[in-house]
Amino acid sequence: MNFNFLGIAFLFLLFTACKNNQQTLPFLGETIVENGKEIHHKVGQINHYTQDSTLLTNKDLEQYIYVADFFFTSCPSICPKVAKEMLRIYNEVSDNPNVKLVSFTIDPKRDTPERLRLYAENLGVDHKKWLFVTGDKDATFELANTFFVAAFEDAESPGGFDHSGKILLIDKEGHVRSFSEGTDPSTTPKLIDDIKLLSESYNTKGK
Amino acid sequence: MKYIYLIIFAFSIVSCNNTPYVQGKRLFAANCANCHMEDGSGLGELIPPLNKSTLLGQASMVCIVKNGIKDTLFKDSTYLLKEMPSFSHLSATEVTNIINFINYKWQPSFKEITILDVEQALKTCQ
Repeated sequence: MNFNFLGIAFLFLLFTACKNNQQTLPFLGETIVENGKEIHHKVGQINHYTQDSTLLTNKDLEQYIYVADFFFTSCPSICPKVAKEMLRIYNEVSDNPNVKLVSFTIDPKRDTPERLRLYAENLGVDHKKWLFVTGDKDATFELANTFFVAAFEDAESPGGFDHSGKILLIDKEGHVRSFSEGTDPSTTPKLIDDIKLLSESYNTKGK
Repeated sequence: MKYIYLIIFAFSIVSCNNTPYVQGKRLFAANCANCHMEDGSGLGELIPPLNKSTLLGQASMVCIVKNGIKDTLFKDSTYLLKEMPSFSHLSATEVTNIINFINYKWQPSFKEITILDVEQALKTCQ
């Protein structure tokens, strides 16, 4: 009897192990079906300037999967913690040419491309790999919503803005595929695994 | 009735942790760790680490904690991002507790400072 039970447990383990091997990342957000085709949620319009003062649009990111967060350089609250986790991710993916990091400032008035450049230089990161971008404030707030990040002006919050510290993984088609909480370092390893999984899925597709 | 003693005993064991600066630890978490990180490692060149700071054990820590720091730590012209905000709401007691905790954590040979030391140092702040 005991042996049977063990056998079943073993089979169950095998079954779940196999399932894990075929794992693909979910599409986050609403999926609608149109003419029998599934249409997944996509992030909004990116029309921002990088720390090198070059324009960045969704089209520029089509060849890459990217990791995104929303921050501002003078943020006294959660941003340094989130930046630390972004840096951890940056170090993990530095050898993978398919992956970029994009940090959107929600404080464009103060965060000019020049200031973002200083920030990136002080972090010691490659400007082509990790883009720090600034754009229209309201458009950025709206864009943040499509990344499922809350960002808005709030005089009572430290630094004058309230925002969540989520770090998001976006695929080449602009779908949100995974996220971590930038304020909780224990959630970062799972996101790093998901980045590898997503990156490999394009390799096997031959894209 | 016997159980009450047992509970009190258990509680006293749990509440005996290894950090002697409990308020300092709590204040550090609330005021400092967001930027300097819980392990004091800082962030790149943006936020200086505390765990290797040359200021550990120095009286000048008092003024920095209370009033923040603008440009004197850094020589280049890019200090605008390297501004530490002031924590003027902290009382002398709280500053004392924070500094003792920081020194205890990263400068094991430190000499404990007193509230009087801090009050004295605060008079010299610019």
